[in-house]
Amino acid sequence: MAESQLLIPLHVSYIKSLGDSKDDLAYHMTAHLRMNAIYWGLTALCTMGHKDALDRVEVIDFVLSCWDDEAGGFGAHPDHDAHIHSTLSAIQILLTHDALDKVDIDRVTRFILSLQKPSGVFAGDEFGETDTRFSYCAISALSLLGRLSDLDVEKTVSYIRQCRNFDGGFGNTIGAESHAAQVFVCVAALAILDRLEEVDQQTLCWWLAERQLPNGGLNGRPEKLEDVCYSFWILSSLSIMRKVPWIDADKLTAFILSCQDPESGGIADRPGDAVDVFHTCFGTAGLSLLGYPGLVDLDPVYCMPASVIEAKGLRKDWQALHRRLS
Amino acid sequence: MHSGKRVRQTPAAIEARKQREKSKIQDYLALTREVTSRKKSRDFSTEALDLTQTLLQLNPEFYTIWNYRRNILLHGLFPNSSPEGINDLLSSELSMTTAALKANPKVYGIWNYRRWCLENVPDGPETEDGLSHSWKKAKWDRELYVVERMLDADGRNFHAWNYRRYVLAMMPTRRPEASELAYTTRKIEANFSNFSAWHQRSKILSSLWNDVGTSAISSREDEFEFVRNALYTDPDDQSAWIYHRWLVGSGQERQTLEREIGSIEELLKEQPDSKWCLESLVHYQRLLLRNNRDENSKETAQKCLGFLLMLQEIDPARRSRYKEIGGGNSRTKHSMISYHSYLLFFR
Repeated sequence: MAESQLLIPLHVSYIKSLGDSKDDLAYHMTAHLRMNAIYWGLTALCTMGHKDALDRVEVIDFVLSCWDDEAGGFGAHPDHDAHIHSTLSAIQILLTHDALDKVDIDRVTRFILSLQKPSGVFAGDEFGETDTRFSYCAISALSLLGRLSDLDVEKTVSYIRQCRNFDGGFGNTIGAESHAAQVFVCVAALAILDRLEEVDQQTLCWWLAERQLPNGGLNGRPEKLEDVCYSFWILSSLSIMRKVPWIDADKLTAFILSCQDPESGGIADRPGDAVDVFHTCFGTAGLSLLGYPGLVDLDPVYCMPASVIEAKGLRKDWQALHRRLS
Repeated sequence: MHSGKRVRQTPAAIEARKQREKSKIQDYLALTREVTSRKKSRDFSTEALDLTQTLLQLNPEFYTIWNYRRNILLHGLFPNSSPEGINDLLSSELSMTTAALKANPKVYGIWNYRRWCLENVPDGPETEDGLSHSWKKAKWDRELYVVERMLDADGRNFHAWNYRRYVLAMMPTRRPEASELAYTTRKIEANFSNFSAWHQRSKILSSLWNDVGTSAISSREDEFEFVRNALYTDPDDQSAWIYHRWLVGSGQERQTLEREIGSIEELLKEQPDSKWCLESLVHYQRLLLRNNRDENSKETAQKCLGFLLMLQEIDPARRSRYKEIGGGNSRTKHSMISYHSYLLFFR
């Protein structure tokens, strides 16, 4: 039977249990995502109002243990190379825990800026591929660090603009097919830079609304399967453009709830699949933007608690659905 | 991130699995420690290269190890190799990544490493027929074959499509765009639903039409014929409709726009509750109104508003959008078009 409610206590205990799976092979095989996983877990907990379920000091110590002193950024795990994605996650975790003072902001800023290519796009690391995902990581991180003024905005925007397609969406490089997750990174990046006029909002919101399938779930590209994570990528983009009502919120809410594991907690990509912390984060994030009762407001631009972003004075002009009382 | 089916295991089964995994975990962690400690001590030996291969076969997503592997080649092996030696090393790297991609077609790190390998292939000697860059050319020419096999396995794999565009742009001897157009025709005819191929087609044609100029008009007519065929085959599939919208563009050619509207109206007669027919008719008629105001405008607008009311019924998930386009939320279903909403319609 599909669940009709968000099983908060179960999800909280699921996220807490993730650190205790060291006798699980999968735990070790995903070490390259550990920093991101902690960010996803912490963000999901914040959204559910249980920020303190993971020990603050332990989390901060782990983040700091991933510092790559050679590169001047954070890796995903101790002894892993610094990467722009794990660096953003580290900054997000530390800011959520009000511990940004532990970061050498000048060095991290230099690391991030060193990854920008002459075309304006960012690479993930020293050898890394270039991708608008990494442009978002750079822009979001610099903004959270208060160092956006060091960025060549025109060059950065120019690359993103060239990734825009006729359907209003964005791809990960110039010429690439529109993809809902790339739409999020490009739209949110432009929102941070106050450059939303670069977006053909009518066309893009049409394309995004057409991602909803008869079962209520959202896909990431035309004629593909639904997946819970697109709930966030699409709802965040629609929130930024103030068009969340263009999809059916009730059906999407029901779809996300149907992807819960009602026995052990956690949310999966689709009903009946194995859960993971990535989909648990973006499922709860989606529900928060849909006004699901009892959840905490999430900022769709930064994918962090709205209160943290407001306290930094970084809130943009987005609009999610009103929080329902029941 | 992709999950498999959720399997409910008994505590005993979980315990048994953990026991089985115990030695695997120990081996994996021991290998990881060995490789990362060699990396720290800047060990750029062949032995280190072999160890990274074993580790990457176990976990191809371990990006740090792909980076280490590049550094071993750059700082350990290339400096002591002749150009032939470098070419041989990279040949074996490419074979390794071919196997890795077959097993893991969506791992960014492997695709990325493969690009790096290709970009480092030495030019090679001049061949007897005077062709330079012989090694480079041989390697790059093979890439289209490799990526086509990947797209045969999954025609929507965006990693493979991105890689394809990269290869087409970078190969030493550029392939004529007409061949790429033919490739997208084959992919679309094999599956009308493959929007990735339609997308690629829109990019190729944009470029061809930009270059060629005058002969573009007839080719554009062929294109309308091609997409119309897809629309009629499955009017519920959004891929061809989205492509059709690209082809019409801003609808500056009134004749074409009216012809396409007429053609979709024909299809609507056969499929009276086709959401995509109605949705597209609204879009194209709004273009018509925006580009040309005349005595028929009010009638056209009224027709659109009628279609929008139908869409609210047959496609309720997007009801708010149809209401908003139709001129706000206040209008009830059967009311006449108010002057206000009529004006809004032309926004």
